[in-house]
Amino acid sequence: MADQVAEAIPSLADDKPQAESNVVIETRNLSKVYRDFWGRQKVRALKALDLEVRKGEIFGLLGPNGSGKSTTIKLLLGLLFPTSGQALVFGKDASDVGKNERIGYLPEESYLYKFLNAVETLDFYGRLFDMPADVRRDRVNELITLVGLDWAKRRQLKEYSKGMTRRIGLAQALINDPELVLLDEPTSGLDPIGTREMKDMILRLRDEGKTVVMCSHLLADVQDVCDRIAILHQGELKELGRVDSLITVKDMTQVRAEGLTKEAEEEIRAVIAKHGGKLVAMENPTTTLEELFLKIVRDSEAKPGRRSTQKD
Amino acid sequence: MTFDQVIPDFGEYLFGGFVLSLIRVALLIAAGVFIGFLVASLRRGPVEGFYSVAKVIASSVNDLVNWSLRRTIAMASLAVQEAIRRLVLIVFVVFVVILLFAGWYLDTQSENPAKLYLSFVLTASNFLVVLLALFLSAFSLPADIKNRTIYTIVTKPVRAWEIVLGRILGFVTVGTMLLVPMGIVSYFFVQRGLSHDHAVEQVAAVAAGNVTQTGETTFDSHHRHTFKVYDDGTGETDVVKRHWHTVTKVGEGDSATYEFGPSIGLLQARVPVFGGLKFKDRAGADTSEGINVGSEWAYRTYIEGGSLAAAIWTFEGVTPERYPEGFDLEMNLRVFRTHKGDMEKGVLGSIVLRNPNASAKIRRSEAITFTAKEYVSDKQTIRNNIRVVDQEDGSIRDGQLFDLVDDEGRLEVWIQCGERSQYYGMAEKDVYILDRDAPFIANLAKGYAGIWLQMVMVTSFGVMFSTFLSGAVAMMATLSSFVVGYFSTFIFEVATGAKEGGGPLESLFRIVTQQNVQVDLEIGKTPTSIIQGVDLVAMMSMRVMTGMLPDYANFMGTTEYVANGYNIDGTLMSIQLLTAFCYVLVVSLVAYYLLKTREIAA
Repeated sequence: MADQVAEAIPSLADDKPQAESNVVIETRNLSKVYRDFWGRQKVRALKALDLEVRKGEIFGLLGPNGSGKSTTIKLLLGLLFPTSGQALVFGKDASDVGKNERIGYLPEESYLYKFLNAVETLDFYGRLFDMPADVRRDRVNELITLVGLDWAKRRQLKEYSKGMTRRIGLAQALINDPELVLLDEPTSGLDPIGTREMKDMILRLRDEGKTVVMCSHLLADVQDVCDRIAILHQGELKELGRVDSLITVKDMTQVRAEGLTKEAEEEIRAVIAKHGGKLVAMENPTTTLEELFLKIVRDSEAKPGRRSTQKD
Repeated sequence: MTFDQVIPDFGEYLFGGFVLSLIRVALLIAAGVFIGFLVASLRRGPVEGFYSVAKVIASSVNDLVNWSLRRTIAMASLAVQEAIRRLVLIVFVVFVVILLFAGWYLDTQSENPAKLYLSFVLTASNFLVVLLALFLSAFSLPADIKNRTIYTIVTKPVRAWEIVLGRILGFVTVGTMLLVPMGIVSYFFVQRGLSHDHAVEQVAAVAAGNVTQTGETTFDSHHRHTFKVYDDGTGETDVVKRHWHTVTKVGEGDSATYEFGPSIGLLQARVPVFGGLKFKDRAGADTSEGINVGSEWAYRTYIEGGSLAAAIWTFEGVTPERYPEGFDLEMNLRVFRTHKGDMEKGVLGSIVLRNPNASAKIRRSEAITFTAKEYVSDKQTIRNNIRVVDQEDGSIRDGQLFDLVDDEGRLEVWIQCGERSQYYGMAEKDVYILDRDAPFIANLAKGYAGIWLQMVMVTSFGVMFSTFLSGAVAMMATLSSFVVGYFSTFIFEVATGAKEGGGPLESLFRIVTQQNVQVDLEIGKTPTSIIQGVDLVAMMSMRVMTGMLPDYANFMGTTEYVANGYNIDGTLMSIQLLTAFCYVLVVSLVAYYLLKTREIAA
């Protein structure tokens, strides 16, 4: 499949220099100032951002609302033009339309034509990649199955729920089998199952060797999937690094065990005290709410009609 | 109808007007590049500015190389689907409803009902389709930008060129899908509206040559005919309200009945063949134009009656192959009377056919007298057998029309006014030979093609404005461009000072203070020069505007040909086609750069 697409889009195969560096996205001193009609400065949305995203990683842009995440993504896509600095995608300027051959983009909300159905939507976007009809047909069916919308593929998008719209949005972002996927708030508006599936999908994309850039303000989602993150606040880069090293609290140990007697617990407390440590907590661990909800739903799907209860 | 619309020769147009337009376009492009450079350098300094302009130009070459038909068609079919979703088919329903009720109001008592019906359907189609193009094109792109559906388009490898062209193609397709059924419905509406039957009111036997019966038809559709039947049982009615019927006699004696065929001549496409015009003055000397009889429209000049003054048309290509049985000469002469004369009767005149070859044996025909019908066309049938004047003895004898045609197929038609102190007025296109009629349906289709071209241009202007204006504003801008284009002849006259009363501000001042347009402003030197200074700027910009916008009135003018029963000239069609094509090309180029250089997400 991927080969067919590569044939259909010559630049996919030809443009890639053998010695291409691992850097997929590079921003240099990237700044964006929004101005009003008279050219007066309104907001400095992004201030001198320097970033590098490497091939095959999941990169998260984090920050509260209005921190410049979406502005960065839009600058990378050429939807906005930088006030100063540069945004390079695959080594080309972000305003170059040619780069779009290798990019997939899922906007914040899926801005799709509501009067088309799922098949027509994907077929339309396939045509925008100049894909021949037979390639398009196969790819559309494949993607609809992938996002699990086979049962609703002939329904107009205006009848779709938020979650379904999100899925078809993801499918359109993947129509060209892109090397770089840009996801703007991928889990927004999704229920816990949808969120989990979206996160699984993102991880699968990475496993296929694609580069993923996502922005989100849902920390849990970012923590679950991202390899590296950048934290933005008021248009400035505050933190940049690997997620595991960023969230590891190096001077803290958490002890969790099961099947211990009261005596054994006392013994462990004594050991900690002996090494000069201070016991913060030692209690029965709880699962996360997300895990619990998922478990209940899975149980209920496995045994329909029966109310699932927690053991003991 | 007068053929005052000057149709240049296609070659003349191509190497005159067209090349001039190309130069204008080139200047426009240069100005566009320069403005782009100015804006960019204001933002980032001259060096960066130059660099970014160069980058845009380079990438537009790249865009052209990567142009994809499939993407363009995808964009176009999306536009079609969107238009259909927006219930444009309602427009067709509106059209049909208008036609349904129009029958009540169209005055069938008119002398020329075909003109009334045709101009009605053509005008209705024209305005409906242009309005549709206006709404579709102006609101589509702004809606996409507002809904941000455009985000998923421009992040694909879609070139701005493809978005613009796709939109134009899509909306033109929708417009065509509406215009074609409109044309078909119109044809049947006109056909049905004009068709009528007659029966015999009275008939009497006569014996005059081969005519055996004459009679009168019943009064139907506000008119009646007289008719005659020949000894072979066929016959014909006279021409009333520009049509006639065939008559067939069925049976013999008292039990004979008469059947009338469908009307002939109502829906026609006459093909005028024009000649060159020169004059003789009252003393018989050559002159290039006649007399000006006053502050009348300078289109026509006049010849004096009862003198040697003559108007001479020279027609070319008059060959027996082309006109085997002779031809009809149609005349639209004006009359200027210096005394009342007999108002009930027209002014007498004569037609003489002459051989341009001075050494020919037969040089002129006998004078054919006629009465000028003011304000309506007058048809003179010139048959092959004609009375000619023998050059040697001056005797009048039977001759052939083509004896009067020289070796190059040229024939002169001399028209003289016969009454003293009365004048005939004429312009070159007032007298012409009628060639064989062109098929009416094809002519109607050509009329609709003119409407189609207007729709295509309005669509591209709409798309262009919608690339940088919001929906309602884009629609107003497109509408203004249409109105200014429609009145461009008038606006050009105002802008060049050809219209009396000065520029817009001066005119306004004159209206408010009720001052005569033909005298100088009575407000002193300084205020006058201020008003005229402001007007000078306004008139300059008006002049530029009329030079840039299509003359829609010219395009609508072609539908008048259809309504008046004249064939639309092929040259006119080609000129309009080329003009429209150039407008679409330039306007979509402008739209492309506007869309390419705008921040979609801003």
